[in-house]
This record gives sequence, C-alpha cells and structure tokens, in this order.
Amino acid sequence: MKMVKIYSTQTCPYCEMAKEYLAEQGIKYENYDVAGDEAARKEMVEKSGQMGVPVLDIDGTIIVGFNKPEMEKALKLNK
Amino acid sequence: MYELIIVGGGPAAISAGIVSARKKIKTLVIADSFGGQWIMAGDIQNFIGTKSVSGFNLAKNLESHLKAQEGIEVKQAAVLKITKKGAGFSIEIDKGETFEAKTVLIASGSGHRKLNIPGEKEFEGKGVFYCATCDAPLMKDRAVAVVGGGNSAFESAISLLDYASKIYVLDRAEILKADEINQEKVRNSGKAEIIAGVSITEIFGDKMVSGLKYQSCDGGEIKELAVEGIFISISRIANNEIVNGLVEVNQAGEIIVDPKTQKTSVDGIWAAGDVTDVLYKQGNVAIGDGMKAALNIYSYLRIDNKK
Repeated sequence: MKMVKIYSTQTCPYCEMAKEYLAEQGIKYENYDVAGDEAARKEMVEKSGQMGVPVLDIDGTIIVGFNKPEMEKALKLNK
Repeated sequence: MYELIIVGGGPAAISAGIVSARKKIKTLVIADSFGGQWIMAGDIQNFIGTKSVSGFNLAKNLESHLKAQEGIEVKQAAVLKITKKGAGFSIEIDKGETFEAKTVLIASGSGHRKLNIPGEKEFEGKGVFYCATCDAPLMKDRAVAVVGGGNSAFESAISLLDYASKIYVLDRAEILKADEINQEKVRNSGKAEIIAGVSITEIFGDKMVSGLKYQSCDGGEIKELAVEGIFISISRIANNEIVNGLVEVNQAGEIIVDPKTQKTSVDGIWAAGDVTDVLYKQGNVAIGDGMKAALNIYSYLRIDNKK
C-alpha cells in the first residue's frame, strides 16, 4: 500500500478533484489543511519548494497541482 | 462517424451538448475537464436562476447534466488537432485515437495570460498564483496584490478579503471593467487599495515573493509594494492551437464567428464561448452562444442539407 499525503486548503477545487480521484481509485490518503496547520504548511513548502496547493506526496514523489498522468505514474496505475 | 463533435467542457460546450442530445444528433463531447473557468470561481452570485452557488458545485452540476443526456457520448481527453477530411473533419486526441464527424463545435475556452515580466516565472507557486480560491487561505495576515480589473480579478480580491491583511488591486486600465457590486465590496472592505492605470514591471523576492514594482502607464516613476502574494487575473488567451491555420482568427487569436449562428469561416465548423471573438466573456453568455451553435448545427444537418 502506498503512503499518500495531500496538502490542501478547504476552498481549493483542484484539491477536491485530486481527493475524488484518489477515492475513485480506492486509495487511502492523509489530508493536511495547510491553511490552519502551520507545521503541515512548512512541511509542504520544504517538500515542494513552493506554496501553491494541492501538493501530493506519494511515497516520496512530490506532485504540485492536480496532475492525473503524474499521479497515475507515481501510483503505478497501469492505464 | 459522428454528426457532431464538441471540443471543450465549459458552459458553451455543455449547453451545446444538452441541446444536441435532445435533438438526437449523434454527438461526442471531448473535454479534459468539465465546468470551464467556473471550477476555479469562489461563490457565484450571477448565475441566472441561482442566488449563490460555489463554482466547484456549479461545474459538477454542468457535468452531471451533460452526462444525464440519453445517447450522448463523452470522452475525457485533450484534443490535439482538428483537420479537414473528405466532407467532414478528423479529430486527434492525446491518447493517439482519432474520431470523425460531419460538423465540429469548438468550445475550448481560454487560458491564463501571463504578465511576461521578470520574476513571474521564477516565483510561480512561490507567491505568484493564478487561482485565488485555491491559494487565498495561505495568505492569512499577509499583504497581497491582485493584478487585473475584471470580474475574475475582483472575485479573487473578494476571496482574499477573509484572509489577507491588505489587498492591492492593480490594473492597466483607468476605468475598471468589473461589475460595480464587486468593486464596491472590495472598496468598502477597509483593507483594499485600488491602483488603476499602472503596469507591473517586476516581481522580486528571495526564496518567496517579497514585493513588486509598478509604473503608471503614462511612464511615471517606478514604485514598490511589499506583498507576499500576487494573484494574476488579467485578460485571457483563446485556446485556438487545435484549429491553428484552419479557421479565421482575429489579432487576439480569437476565432471569428457570425454572432447570429456561431459559424466560423469554415463550412462545418462552429465556435462558442471564450475561444471566440464574443465581446462579453461570461459564463451565462457562453451558455447562450453554445445553445445557438447547436440549434444552427441542427438546421445545417437536418434541414438545410435536405433541401
């Protein structure tokens, strides 16, 4: 099972799409709301070198934005 | 072979798809996402018939309304190229497949326009943002700038009101285009300052943005603002690459259409929404234009060609 973290804000539509996509694929993830959680925000900036959301951490692969092909690759979903 | 292929997933494409499905036109809709720019909009208060709806939910509603149509086919993919083939057209998508249709409706919308100034690219995501609904919550107690003077710029400023300590709105025009109600909301917030008739010359910072430089359009002195976020919401670029060289476009790259029928310069190709030279780039207008296009395509397929 892959370790998936998503750094998001509550208002962000692309974060919502990324979560929906993970749910559709039956993949469990941990969500961090970087608007309220200062430590998670720092972690996200350190990992991605920027502060736009969403950021996904899939077993150490960092993806900025809702990027389906990159997510498929990192999750090794063969399509 | 389809009777109609609709390229795009925004309001123009979806309204056309619903009309054509109800007319029993054999239709395929190819889109990489659904809802168009509404996906990114915060709270929408001018969608006719609905007092208030989030852009994300409105986008979802459009998608489900389209997919509920009996007989419609929907493919989630990016269109690469449209070419003339025999009496119809061939449409190539990113997964290598091609589809053929008698008629085509281009409703591919528009994309972000960049300022093309020093620092913009370097600081993308590091203080330079294009989606305020996404990234506004990160600007708690910080000073920010919004660049642009239309409704989408002011909607960005409104989503920032809940978080930022200070909001500057900068635009090239002296008279801003946004609806008065949106401008008032920002002006009366007590924490916004509107700077009209200026252009941004540079974005600077260390690891993250710390400010911008601007100059009045008549060439005054260069001034600086200390801001940690810059939300760019200026006029957009028509997504016309897929019909490059095929249909006539204006100087801005927008597809030229006949406003009565949405016909382009090429027989068999229609266009609607923000990809066209329509004067008002608004979702409600795009819905009407998509509908006009589909009705005219119906006449073309079922009436004109039978005479």
